[in-house]
Amino acid sequence: MVSGMILPEKGITMANKKSIKEHLAGAVGLLITLAAAFIIVLILVFLLSKDPLRTISYFFSGPFRNKFYFGNMINASIPLIFTGLGISLAFKSSMFNLGGEGQVYSGGLAATAVCLALPLANPFLGSIFALIAAFAAGGIIAGLSGVFKMAWDTDELITSFLISSALILIVDFIITGPMDDPTNNLLATSPIPLQYRFLKIYPPSKLDISLFFALFFAAGVYFFMNRTHWGYEMRMCGLNREFARYGGINVGKFMVIPMILSGGLHGLGGGFAILGTYDMCLKGFSGGMGWNGIAVALIAKNNPLAVIPAALFFAYLEAGAKAAMLHSDVTFEIAAIVQSVIFYLVTAQALYGLVSSKKRKAL
Amino acid sequence: MSQSQFTFPLIHNAVAIMTPILLASIGGLFTELGGMLNIALEGLLIIGAFFSVVFASVTESIFLGVILGICATVLVALMFGAITLYLKANVFITGLATNLFASGLTIVLAFQIYGNKGIVRFPNIHRLSTLDIGNLQRIPVLGDIFLGHNMFVYISWLLVILAYIVIYKTSFGMRLRGSGLNPSTIVSLGLSPRRYQLWSILISGLTCGLGGAFLTLNLGAFIPNISSGRGWIALVAIYLGNKTPLGVLLASFVFGFAEAFSNYAQGAINVPADFILSLPYIITVITMVGFSIYRYYRGLSSNHG
Repeated sequence: MVSGMILPEKGITMANKKSIKEHLAGAVGLLITLAAAFIIVLILVFLLSKDPLRTISYFFSGPFRNKFYFGNMINASIPLIFTGLGISLAFKSSMFNLGGEGQVYSGGLAATAVCLALPLANPFLGSIFALIAAFAAGGIIAGLSGVFKMAWDTDELITSFLISSALILIVDFIITGPMDDPTNNLLATSPIPLQYRFLKIYPPSKLDISLFFALFFAAGVYFFMNRTHWGYEMRMCGLNREFARYGGINVGKFMVIPMILSGGLHGLGGGFAILGTYDMCLKGFSGGMGWNGIAVALIAKNNPLAVIPAALFFAYLEAGAKAAMLHSDVTFEIAAIVQSVIFYLVTAQALYGLVSSKKRKAL
Repeated sequence: MSQSQFTFPLIHNAVAIMTPILLASIGGLFTELGGMLNIALEGLLIIGAFFSVVFASVTESIFLGVILGICATVLVALMFGAITLYLKANVFITGLATNLFASGLTIVLAFQIYGNKGIVRFPNIHRLSTLDIGNLQRIPVLGDIFLGHNMFVYISWLLVILAYIVIYKTSFGMRLRGSGLNPSTIVSLGLSPRRYQLWSILISGLTCGLGGAFLTLNLGAFIPNISSGRGWIALVAIYLGNKTPLGVLLASFVFGFAEAFSNYAQGAINVPADFILSLPYIITVITMVGFSIYRYYRGLSSNHG
């Protein structure tokens, strides 16, 4: 009852069929949002930097300056594709998974644990096991909130956040306690065995073959949501749960399944990040991946294929901020302010031309 | 902490610890009654915490620091409310935006002003003075609850009473609740529900500004993301407190007690710090699920009866 009241569906789950005019209004709204973000970057840099022109030049062109930066930017979009997919799948089903941060982190830890437990396994089978573990870790954590929702109508939005917040601290403890590698000075586990590390495809950057998996999963989620029976039922529950119940859909089941899949995708994001990029579970390696997944899904209007460019855009923002930090005098957190501007405006119906149409509502 | 002048230090500490949660949830209660899930409490606490200590340090006056800190928080709340209500954005997403904005802005400013992204200490801020009345504090329970706190604690209680009056005894409170329950009735009175909702968001900015000020002024330092989940716990306290001022007070005390107990456990038993830090979240989840189970079965039995 609670989450139904909280979230007027209009902002998040847009109706499926839109006219050309509405599409156009949507594009204009997105353009305004991005322009506002762009202006905020300029304002912040001119206020904060002693050499604003240099900072701005690094902010915008930094990610394209060499193969290393460019490849790393693409690489940084991979976990965002997974978390963005996880969020859009849940949002499409009107389930609100706010625990992405903890799910990615736990998925990464689970994948690392499997790799370390099987030091001599076949690389192919071993990494499949690791990824299954990552999926399961994220899926169980998020699924729990779905089960609470189904059984007792506990608000999944808040429980998923709280469970994830508790888990982040517990994973922190496991990484720096029982699984800490005493031979290195990092707050991290031991490195995973060499045979599991994914092939790099764009040296000297960290970009690796998990890019193809991310693209594959985006296509897979798109197919699942739009071409399968379960996907259809999930979307129906997302549009109007009472209507779906009336139509004979097991509504309770589709409170749990979207959460499991959403959490699983988050976990996979963490698992791929370990096998492809980090090679060991570093304390806090996944910070921000969950929150940014929400923004990515919103920019993509929950369309799994549109998640890919949206994730690239977010990775570009962060890479730009990083380049500006390394080569100039601003701190990385200006990226957070720019991202918040996007968050602020991305659901603003007044910008997207939805207010004038039939969707006018008191709130 | 071992030699406390209180009979039940656990209760005394719980009352102190619950204060920022209570303050945030009083403001959140207004927005909740206005029909909005205000997850921005977390970020508003950070803004209040940062600006009040910075201004207090600059002006060398706790009072001015608190006032200016509240002003800054209300300003951010105004931005949050205006975008949500007048650009018709989803309140949940703009709440996330506010939290991200608060965290980013305070770190950027701390870096810019103090050249430091970690803990920023303010040597000229001293611990807030407390109401100490000698041996009276030894009175069991009553002394623990009522004496030996700083002014924020007493202000928060006054605000509970004030919130009760405003919500139930004034036309503003009734119209705000009307805006939350059924906006069209307010429209039919020729009034704008959005105006009442915006006021409720500003009120949440005010109380979160106070709550944030409590966090940093007592510590004499700012830590990035200092609210560390208190805004979320405040939100849960509103639900647990059945959306009434008194209920919110009791629920906040439960969470204050949970954290006081965690702190105590940290000293008494050899448990890793991360586990202790995760306890408030775990206790909150368990309380929430327990509460919804209770509500579920009460709903079932009342349907049969």
